[in-house]
Amino acid sequence: MKAFAYVNPTTEQEAVAALKTDGVAMPLGGGQDLLARLKDYIDTPDRLVNVKNALDATVTATPDGGLTIGAAVRIADLAAHAQVAKLYPAISAAAIEIGTPQIRHVGTVGGNVNQRPRCWYFRNEEFVCFKKGGSRCFAVTGENQFHAIFGNEGPSHIVHPSSLAVPFTAYGATFRVLGPNGPRNVPAAEYFTRPTIQNVLKENVLGDEELLTHVVLPAPGNVKSGHYEVRYKQSHDWPLAFTTVVLTMNGNTIQSARVVLGAVAPVPWRSPEAERALVGQPLNEQTAALAGDAAVQTAKPMSGNAYKVQIAKTAVKRAIMNAAGIKTV
Amino acid sequence: MAPTDDRPEHERFSVSRRDFLKTAGVGSLATAVTAAGAAEAEAQTGAKVVGPGDVPVSLMVNGKRVDLQIEPRVTLLDALRNRADLTGNKRVCDRGTCGACTMIVDGRTLYACSTLAIDVQGKPIRTVDGLATGNTLHPVQQAFADHDSLMCGFCTPGFVVATVALLEKYPNPTRDQARHELDGNICRCGTFVRIMEAALATKGVTRG
Amino acid sequence: MAEFQGRGGQAPPNPELADLAKRYAWPEKPALISTRVKRLDGPDKVSGRAKYTYDINRPGMIYGKIVRSPHPHARIVSIDMSAAEKSPGFKTALSYKEAGAVVMYQGDPVAAVAADTEEHALDAARLVRVRYEQLPHFANVDQAMAQNAPVVFPGGNTKVGAAEEQGNLDEGFKQAAQIVEATYSTHVITHVCLETHGTVCEWDGDKLTAWVSTQAVHGTKDGFVKGLDIPAANVRVITQYMGGGFGSKFSPDAQGLICAKLAKQAQRPVKLMLDRKEEHLDTGNRPSAFAHIRAGVSAEGRLTAFDAQSWGTGGAGATSGFPLPYIYDFPNRRRTHKDVYINAGQQRAMRAPGHPQGCFLTEILMDELADRVKMDPVAFRMKNLPPAAPNAAWGEYFEIGAKAFGWDKRHPTGDPTPGPIKTGFGTSAHRWGGGGRGSKAQCDISSDGSVVMKCGTQDLGTGTRTLVAIVTAETLGLPVSAVHPEIGDSIYPLSGGSGGSTTAASMTPAIRLTAGKALDALAAKVAPHLGVEASTLTASNGRVHVVGNPSKGLAWKDACKLIGTEPISVASEWAEGLSSTGTSGVQFTEVTVDIETGIVKVKRILTVQDCGLIVDRLTSESQIHGGIIGALNFALFEDRILDRNTGQMVNPNMEWYLIAGMSDIPQIDIHLVDTPVQRARGVIGIGEPPTVSTAAAIANAVRNATGVTIRSLPLQPYKILQALEEQRAGGTN
Repeated sequence: MKAFAYVNPTTEQEAVAALKTDGVAMPLGGGQDLLARLKDYIDTPDRLVNVKNALDATVTATPDGGLTIGAAVRIADLAAHAQVAKLYPAISAAAIEIGTPQIRHVGTVGGNVNQRPRCWYFRNEEFVCFKKGGSRCFAVTGENQFHAIFGNEGPSHIVHPSSLAVPFTAYGATFRVLGPNGPRNVPAAEYFTRPTIQNVLKENVLGDEELLTHVVLPAPGNVKSGHYEVRYKQSHDWPLAFTTVVLTMNGNTIQSARVVLGAVAPVPWRSPEAERALVGQPLNEQTAALAGDAAVQTAKPMSGNAYKVQIAKTAVKRAIMNAAGIKTV
Repeated sequence: MAPTDDRPEHERFSVSRRDFLKTAGVGSLATAVTAAGAAEAEAQTGAKVVGPGDVPVSLMVNGKRVDLQIEPRVTLLDALRNRADLTGNKRVCDRGTCGACTMIVDGRTLYACSTLAIDVQGKPIRTVDGLATGNTLHPVQQAFADHDSLMCGFCTPGFVVATVALLEKYPNPTRDQARHELDGNICRCGTFVRIMEAALATKGVTRG
Repeated sequence: MAEFQGRGGQAPPNPELADLAKRYAWPEKPALISTRVKRLDGPDKVSGRAKYTYDINRPGMIYGKIVRSPHPHARIVSIDMSAAEKSPGFKTALSYKEAGAVVMYQGDPVAAVAADTEEHALDAARLVRVRYEQLPHFANVDQAMAQNAPVVFPGGNTKVGAAEEQGNLDEGFKQAAQIVEATYSTHVITHVCLETHGTVCEWDGDKLTAWVSTQAVHGTKDGFVKGLDIPAANVRVITQYMGGGFGSKFSPDAQGLICAKLAKQAQRPVKLMLDRKEEHLDTGNRPSAFAHIRAGVSAEGRLTAFDAQSWGTGGAGATSGFPLPYIYDFPNRRRTHKDVYINAGQQRAMRAPGHPQGCFLTEILMDELADRVKMDPVAFRMKNLPPAAPNAAWGEYFEIGAKAFGWDKRHPTGDPTPGPIKTGFGTSAHRWGGGGRGSKAQCDISSDGSVVMKCGTQDLGTGTRTLVAIVTAETLGLPVSAVHPEIGDSIYPLSGGSGGSTTAASMTPAIRLTAGKALDALAAKVAPHLGVEASTLTASNGRVHVVGNPSKGLAWKDACKLIGTEPISVASEWAEGLSSTGTSGVQFTEVTVDIETGIVKVKRILTVQDCGLIVDRLTSESQIHGGIIGALNFALFEDRILDRNTGQMVNPNMEWYLIAGMSDIPQIDIHLVDTPVQRARGVIGIGEPPTVSTAAAIANAVRNATGVTIRSLPLQPYKILQALEEQRAGGTN
C-alpha cells in the first residue's frame, strides 16, 4: 500500500471534516474491501479516516415501525439481529451469506453498500479501464463470464458487488448521507448509478467528502419476503446471481411485488417485468417460474455469460418460492 | 408501539454520536496537511492525524503488551510477524480470503492481513502463539495433533484459531455449525476431513 | 522371500549393504510400521513454534522485492533505478535482465531491490522504471496455432513429437461396431503452495546459509552452487518446515539467486518471499491438455482402436506431454502430441505430472464407449484392462470398491428422478510409479540412550520426519518418542528431492539399514557383556536381547551405558530389497447436479489404493485425503485465466482462483490396501497416486447425473447449462 496518514474521529462531523484534505482521504470501515484495493494500488489515498468510532453502530427502531441501521453496524451483528430478522428477513438472509465469519465480524453495513466492484479488470493494476480513468472496458471482448447481463449499454459492465444493496432496495430503504453541507436522504433506488461516461469512476452518488451514516428502513408492512443466492463454491464465493422479493399479499394473491436482482447488473436490478408477472397471481411455483422467465426477458448477456441468464431466472423463481415457503432444492 | 432499543448483542465500536459528547467544532474548514511525509496535523475539529511515517502503536497480544513504531499502513499480521517475531500466524493470500492469518480480536475472528495494526490498539488480540500454556497444548491444538488434522501446517495456525473461536461460540457444534464457522479458512494439502473430526471431537474449550 | 517387481538395470549392491538388506528386511510383524503413528511435528505446527522460511527473522535482516514484466512479451528498452535508489530505506538493487533482453511472460523477473522494511522494499520496487517495447504474444493455444500466427517463439510456436503407434489402426476401426469421436481437454492450474516460494539468505564471509521453502534441500543447494558459481562446501540450505511444494519447489529459482546476490551486495541477511500474484505467475503450473480422439469398440465391448492428436501448453517454450491412452488396452492405436507455446509462466511438475490429464482424456471416453455397447462402466473397464501391467490390481480394486460404494444402485446415464437435482455415480482408475533409491543416512547412539537419525531429506507435510522416526524406532525396538530425527538441512547425508512419490521408498530403506548398522554396533558392545555372539542379538520392546529370549538381555538404557564416551555413529544408505515401484488404484464418486443452475456438488468419494508397505497408516490416509481434494479442485474450481487479448492473468489471487473450503468437501472413504502381497512389495509411495483419477470420476458422475457429457475441465456451470440446452434443442452431445 502507499503510505497514508490515519485519523480516528469520534463524531460524524469530525469524520466528515477529516475527509477534507489537500490529497485524497477515504473512510475506513471494516477495511475488507478498502485495504485490498490499497494493496493492489487501485486506490492510493493519502489519508484514511477510521469511521468505526464516529458512525452509529446500532440498530434502532423508528417511530413508524421501521428500523434505522447505523453504517458502522457489523455484518455479523446485522445477521444476528432479531428485529432485523423479524421485519426484514431477506436482509438477514443476505447478511449471513456475505463472505466468511472473519469478514462478517469486521465488515460494516456502510462498507458493504459502498464497496467497489470485484471485476478483475478493475482489481488488476495492469488494466487501465474506464473506472480508473482509462478509455475502455476490457470485459467487452475479454473474460466476461462474471459480468453483467442487464444494464449492459456500457461503458462499464460490472455487476454491483453489494449483497445488502439488493434487499435494502427491495425494502425501500433510504440512505442518510452526511457531507460538509449537512445531511441528505437518498432513496436506495437512486443511490446506485447506472454507468455513464460522466459518472463511471464511481458506482453511487456519494461524494468524496460524504459519508453514508444510516440505512433507514420503512415499516415493512404485511409482506412475504424471499431471498435466494446462487454461488458456485459453497464455502466462500461471490454469487453468480441472487434475488430478493418482497410481496404484499391479499390472501394468497400477490397484490404488489418488488423483485430486485443482484450480481447481474451495475446496480441492484429492479425487475418490473417480473413484478408485472406476479401481480394478481396466486403465490405458487408456477407463478414463480413465470416470473423468473419474465425477469430475464430483457437480459442482454455478453459473449461469455449467457449462462447467467438461466441462473438469474432460477434465482428469481426460487426467491419467490422461498417467500411462499415452498422448498426449493 | 413503543420504540425499543435494539442494540446488537455485541457492542464493538458502538460509541454512537448520541453517547459521545465532543465539541462539534463547526466552523470554517481548516485545511489539513496530508502530503506524504508530513508531520502530524489536526483535522478540522481536533481529531489527530498521525503518520504516514512511523508512529507508536501499542498492541495487547496474548495478554502481553507489544509496543511498536510502525507506519499506519502496516497490517496487524505484518506488525506481529515482522516486528514482534510472532510468526505463528501466516501470510498466504494477503487479501482476506484464505484465513491463514486468522486471529481473535475483541472476541471475534478476523483476517489480520486485512486489519491495520493501528486500528486495533487497546483491543485484546489472541494469536495461535498464545494458545498453549507452557508445554501444554490448548485442547484444540491437541486434537489437531491427535487427529492428524495437518500436513504442511501452513494453514494450521489459522484453522486452529478459527476452531477455538468456533468452540468458544458453540461448545458442542453440529457439523453444519462447524462448517459454517470454518468456511473462512482454506487448506491446499487437503486436511479438511480431519480438521472437522478434531473440531467435533474437542471438549473442554472455555472462553479464553 | 519377497516377490516384487523392482526397477531393472541397477548395479549389484556392495556385500555389506546386501547383508544389511537381508538381515534388516522389513519385519514380518512390525510393532510400529503400518500402524497409526502421530506426526512428530504436529505439536510444533499447531502451536506456531514451527519456523518456516517465511518466518525466519535474522538479526539485521532486510527485505527483497523483485520487479517483473507486466507484459507477456516485450523487449526491455531501459531500466532506471534512480528513483528507487532515493526512496526511504533503500539498501541495494540489481538488474536481473539487461536492456535488450526479451521477457516472455507476465511475471518474468527483470530486476530486484532490497530495503530496510518490507513496505519500503515494495515502495522502492515500484519506483524502478522499466521501459518496454511490447511484442506480439499468445494468450492461448488457439492463437499460437492460428494459420497466420506470427513467429513469437524462435524455432516455432509449436513442436510436434514423434507418433506413438501400435498395431493396425485401419483394422482396428474395421473391427469396431461403435465409434466415438470427440475432443477432450483439461486446463492450466497453478500449484498454490500456501507458503509462497522464497528464501532468506545470509552470508558469513563467503559462506552462504539459505533458508529456502524447498522440497529438495540437496538439489537446491546444488542450484545455489551452480547459479552463484561458488564451492559446494560454502552453501548450506535449511528447510525444517515448508508450506507446500506439490512439485514446484526443487531449485533456488530466480528469487533464490537474486536473494543471495542482494544479501552479498548489502552485506545483510535478505528475506525475499514472493507474494501471491508472483506465485501464480512465475512458479510453475500444470500444462493444459487437449486431445481429439477417435476410438472404436467391438460389439462385445472390447476396445479395438484409438487414434488421437493431442496438444497442450506448458507456457513459454515448455513441454506439455502426458500419457495417452491411459491404462486401458487399445490394441491398435496411434497418438501424436504437439507442444504449443504461449506467453505464460512455464510449467513445472505438479502432483502426478501428466497422469491427471491422460486419465481424464481417456476415462470420459471410456464411459461414452461403455454406453454405446450398453455395458456397465465398471464391467466395461474390467473387460479392457491391460494384460501386462505388473503389480496392478485394478480388476480386484474395481470389485472391492464397487461393492463398498454401492455401485449397483447406479442408474443408467441420465438421472430419471424428477426435480432439478440429479444424482450420478462415476468411476475411474489410475496408476503411478513411485519407488526411489539413493538416500544416505547417519545414526548416532549415545551412552545416555539417545538416538539421532540424520538424513538430508525434507518434510513437505508428507510426514517424512515421522517416517524417519518410525523406521528407526522399529529397528531399535524403541518407542517413536525415543528417536530424534534430524532432517531438512543439507549438512545431513544426501537424499533426493521429494518428488515422484519417491521419498518414502528412497529414504526408509536407508533409515532401516543405517539403524540396523547402528544396532549391529551396539550389539557388538552388548554381546560380550551377555556372553553371547553379537549375531544372536536383536532389539525389541525397549530391550537389546537374544532373539526369542527377551530376558537374556539388557534394557536399552543399560545397553547404551556400555557405549562409552564416544557415541556410536554409523552411516549407511539405500539398498535393493526394501522398496519397489508401481501402484494402482480406483475411485468412485457420487455427485449432485442442479440442472437449473449447473452447480455440481460432490457428495462422496471412495478410493481403493495400494502403496506397497504402509509405513504410517495415519499420514498415508491424510495423503490420500489431500490428493483427492486436490483433484476435486482441479475438476471443479481452480483455473488459471489469462485475458485473451492482453495475455495477462485476471485471477492471480485466492479470490477468483478458487480453492475448496470446508463446505465443498465431500465424504471421503479410503480403502488402503494392506495385504501380505502389498507388504511384500516393500515401500513404494503414496503422495501422487490419489490425485490422478478423481477429476475423471467426478466428470463421469456428472455425465451419469445429467445425461450430457462435459469433456473439458473445469466443470463449470456454463458448460453444464450449455450442454443441457443443446440437448433440449435436439442436439446429440
